[in-house]
Amino acid sequence: MMRTSLKKRLVPKLLIKHRPMGRVARPVLVTTRQFRSARDVGDPVSQAKIYEAQLADELIVLNIDGTPIGGDEVMLSLIERLASETFMPLAVGGGVRSVDDFARLLERGADKVSVNTAALDRPALITEAAARFGAQCVVVSVDFRTEADGTARVYRDHAGVSTGRLVTEWAAEAAARGAGEILLTDADRDGGGPGLACDVARAVSDLVPVPVILGGGCGLAEHFVEGFLRGGAEAVTAGTFFCFRDQNPMQTRAHIRNAGIAIRMET
Amino acid sequence: MSQSLGSRRHVGVVNYQAGNLQSIGNAFEHLGTLVTRVTRAADLADCTHLVLPGVGAFGFCAERLAQSGLLPAVQQWALEDRRPLLGICVGMQLLADGSDESPEVPGLGWMGGRVAALIGGGVVRIPHVGWNTVRFDVACGEFQPGDQADFYFDHSFAYGQPALGRRVASCDHGTTFSAVIARDNVMAVQFHPEKSQSAGLRLLRGFLAG
Repeated sequence: MMRTSLKKRLVPKLLIKHRPMGRVARPVLVTTRQFRSARDVGDPVSQAKIYEAQLADELIVLNIDGTPIGGDEVMLSLIERLASETFMPLAVGGGVRSVDDFARLLERGADKVSVNTAALDRPALITEAAARFGAQCVVVSVDFRTEADGTARVYRDHAGVSTGRLVTEWAAEAAARGAGEILLTDADRDGGGPGLACDVARAVSDLVPVPVILGGGCGLAEHFVEGFLRGGAEAVTAGTFFCFRDQNPMQTRAHIRNAGIAIRMET
Repeated sequence: MSQSLGSRRHVGVVNYQAGNLQSIGNAFEHLGTLVTRVTRAADLADCTHLVLPGVGAFGFCAERLAQSGLLPAVQQWALEDRRPLLGICVGMQLLADGSDESPEVPGLGWMGGRVAALIGGGVVRIPHVGWNTVRFDVACGEFQPGDQADFYFDHSFAYGQPALGRRVASCDHGTTFSAVIARDNVMAVQFHPEKSQSAGLRLLRGFLAG
């Protein structure tokens, strides 16, 4: 018997940097490679509208400058525009430090908030946010790299500094503290398209009861299929794949459907 | 057609600092209605339809609503004047007697029954996040009995069966729960119609037609 008809999710990711334009800063969509060498792509709102027309299930928006979100009017007004000009669920992160930051983002139109380094600094933030906004609102973002001994370890500060912690161990703690979803991003594979870290995702998804979103490394439509089937992910996210390749969420979706995976095909 | 329907409608969204007002307002504006954020009882004066949103833990939302001072006016609207009201997400759950999420805080009790935790049981993941199929058991606006459509959900607790009123549509995630419930002029949905693209807009149009 079918216990759920929940669909797997295909989630485009918008990485945002602040770029000066005259005297003001404006948000620009970029892609990265191994979390470095940001390359400008264009206007995030236009890109979001295209993704919506192509039936994206959700959108992840990350400020990768790491500026505190609290006073970042460039990011906050971007979120407001995305929420008013598209009807997609928005998960927003980058520079989130406090429960007040969650409130600020939700007020401006985010549906979920993603927290990374601040949760490593103070894991109680996860519990506090879940108590106020519900676990379904709290996404804990875990960036990782594979170290010389072959283990996947958690990195912080935009994947610049190793914490030494095992991905599985931190993901389990985050879920136990109230995270509603775990967003796993492989910083080594980011932007290169070699395929997803399915083994790491599988180890995490076997360990936590909450949905796992897997990203970093999509280069082929087949990689999404692997993320769902081998990685056990509920959602696969990609940025570079949709920005620079002759691929869009609609084509990728058909490939996933053809592999026998339940995914939304029409609204 | 939706434009002409919308132009005669004025939607109030209860602003009690616990909901995604922006997105709900945008969706109704897209349908051509006027939208007012209701922060004082007087703001209801010109409204034809009222929305009770809700994002957050049950107890947090229930307490915020009680503190807002808006509750008497909302009750007058829905229960005495019997005017159309739509509860969304926790705005639906608040219509129960209470929720296992915050057992110490009572709900409004308009629909009776309790909200309980969804059970993953190692089979499905909780929270229930994403697009799931909703089956309509009875007619609801533009949806006919037997119709199915995908809507966006994001929750860990759900209404099994209202003790008062009826289940209009259901959804499966581990267990079967109420996706849409209704009692007279009050309707409530567990999913987010404002985030559910065209299916969501269809549902909101049905609410405006009532």
